[in-house]
Amino acid sequence: MSSCRGRERLNLYSMSFIDPLYPIFLVTGFTVGFGHCIGMCGPIVVSLSLNLKDKNFLIPHLLYNSGRVVTYSILGGVMGATGSFTLVASHIAGIQKGAMIFAGILIILMGLAMSGLISFGKVFGDSYNPGGFISKGFQRLSRGKSSAAYFPIGLLLGLLPCGPVYTALLAAAGAGMKATGPLEAIITGMGVMMCFGLGTLPALFLVAKLADMGWLKKREFIYRIGAVLMIAVGIYFIIQGIRY
Amino acid sequence: MIEVLNLNGGSMKQWIGTGGQQHFFSTTGVLKSAGLVLIMIGILIFGGGVALNPAMAADTTINCDAHKGVCSQSSGDLTVSLEISPRPVKAMQDLVFKVSITGASPAKPPHIDLGMPAMKMGPNQVALKPLGPGIYEGTGVIVRCPSGKRIWFANVIVPGAGEVKFIFDVIY
Repeated sequence: MSSCRGRERLNLYSMSFIDPLYPIFLVTGFTVGFGHCIGMCGPIVVSLSLNLKDKNFLIPHLLYNSGRVVTYSILGGVMGATGSFTLVASHIAGIQKGAMIFAGILIILMGLAMSGLISFGKVFGDSYNPGGFISKGFQRLSRGKSSAAYFPIGLLLGLLPCGPVYTALLAAAGAGMKATGPLEAIITGMGVMMCFGLGTLPALFLVAKLADMGWLKKREFIYRIGAVLMIAVGIYFIIQGIRY
Repeated sequence: MIEVLNLNGGSMKQWIGTGGQQHFFSTTGVLKSAGLVLIMIGILIFGGGVALNPAMAADTTINCDAHKGVCSQSSGDLTVSLEISPRPVKAMQDLVFKVSITGASPAKPPHIDLGMPAMKMGPNQVALKPLGPGIYEGTGVIVRCPSGKRIWFANVIVPGAGEVKFIFDVIY
């Protein structure tokens, strides 16, 4: 919310009030969060939660969502700076397609790892190249010794193509067009997207909490079912990504 | 072998022994597990299905072939014509929305709310500027929904006179 408050400092740049777009998109993020985001990002959040197993869900999900909001804010800043939604959207379409396919692969790998059928190490050939960059990264993720891996995952998955995100970016670009200077355009665009991203947090944290298995005494059969569902959802994401 | 040991705080606890192994279950835990499975299925299938395929749960009867030209709809005395260009109407590109109004004199310029039936896409409004008597024009973008569903609506809001909804399909 610091950006929302920071908007007041834009008085220096001829602004005399908090832009109404901020509360509008904070509320928009909140409302679409409980509909659209649960459908789109819910499988990813559930996958992350299930993969955590006995570990506390709060920090990893905080990092994941922080990464997502940072990506939204950067995109909002770019939209505000250019003032053209279609120009930027056309340039990032390929990256978004890749992000969707990556999300599908990530969910499948987590499902496989959780099922116990295969380990990340086997997938990426750690025995062959234990010092490899990818191997190290996924070893860290699968072992879960560090939650830091969830931040870059959030950064990348913040690029997932999503209708309401596009709508917020459209507003960020529109706000940039109305700004009186480039700095104001960038900050306004970032503010719109940051507020939107923050608005989506309650829904995704709720999903994360529901999928948190810490309270269960017997979880293996849940993990088995979850693994199958995750693999199915991952395949769906990959197909959608290829078709996108 | 199942042996009921006691009732503790309303939660029945059982020891289940099989092949020399014993596992602890509680009725509450099993019920929560079942509930969680339902939640997961709900999120993964219902969420991934209905939310990503909103047309399944919505009135998506197309009443405008926007690719061919001007569409007209009436509501009481109000008649609104909508033309979207360039055609065919594609998502993720700048579009011009031209609106003609008869049967009413709006107090303020009308605007268009763009969205998908039964799914919140966030506020996407097209501001319309007057071109002449009863004729307005504005630019906007129809964003792309990754679900692949292509049915959108343009709700023309005429202040003081009402609103008219055009439902049409968009090319992705």
